[in-house]
Amino acid sequence: MSRIIDAKGKACPMPVLMAKEAISAGESQFTVLVDNTTAVGNLQRLAANQGFDASVEEKDGAYCLSFLKNGSLPVASAEEPVCAPAPSAGYAIFVGRDIIGDGDRELGTNLMRMFFYTLAQSDDLPRSILFMNAGVKLPAGDEQVAQHLQTLLDRGVEVLVCGTCLNFYGIADQLAAGTVSNMYDILTRMQEAGKVISL
Amino acid sequence: MDYCLITFSSSSGAIQAQRALKGHLSFQTMPVLREISASCGIAVRLAPDAADEARSLLSHSELRADEYAFYGISGHGPTLTAQPLFG
Repeated sequence: MSRIIDAKGKACPMPVLMAKEAISAGESQFTVLVDNTTAVGNLQRLAANQGFDASVEEKDGAYCLSFLKNGSLPVASAEEPVCAPAPSAGYAIFVGRDIIGDGDRELGTNLMRMFFYTLAQSDDLPRSILFMNAGVKLPAGDEQVAQHLQTLLDRGVEVLVCGTCLNFYGIADQLAAGTVSNMYDILTRMQEAGKVISL
Repeated sequence: MDYCLITFSSSSGAIQAQRALKGHLSFQTMPVLREISASCGIAVRLAPDAADEARSLLSHSELRADEYAFYGISGHGPTLTAQPLFG
């Protein structure tokens, strides 16, 4: 019988951390219980990244995720890097603030909007755009940047937005483009990328 | 015309114009097209049918008429054309 990991009531990123422990311990089948959809999304992404299938059942406000190792994909051991950087892995953009550069905020806001306007029209797109700290105010508050992010999403770019940061600023309900994410996924995208551009 | 573009003689003029337009009509901030100017600059993009209202709003702002210019933009890439408006 597979192990049951009860992560109900645990704040992000504990459910992911608990599941990751089970994977690192070599468990090929286990179940995680959580009580919010953010944790479900985070765990599903963890499963996909680690070579597991994760089916979800909802019952009485709780979610039951059954992890089952997918035989066609290898599971990274604790000793191996999750992903090796490769030049062919494209690039990622890390946005840790809501303006470009120091100095005048209004000018910095304009520069940020122009950056995403130009990026959305570019032929050389990043694999992922990662928002943390005040950067999350762009997909959750700046209407123009959110429109450009939607264009980038439609063109296949992954947009990850730090859930801790959204909650800190009290704007989680304003997220207009992108996926609520966590430090694990954001770090993994940086490690996978051939280069990371920081704004 | 696909859209209307307003360019400015200075970045501070572009920011002043945004303050004048904000709340009255929908616009986007974008870099000045390379077809119009080689230098880095802030431009404002509008729907074609918003050009007249934008012109009226700017005429009542602190900006002088020679500090901004309207263009009608059609096409993109090699086929892009920028036609001065209200000349």
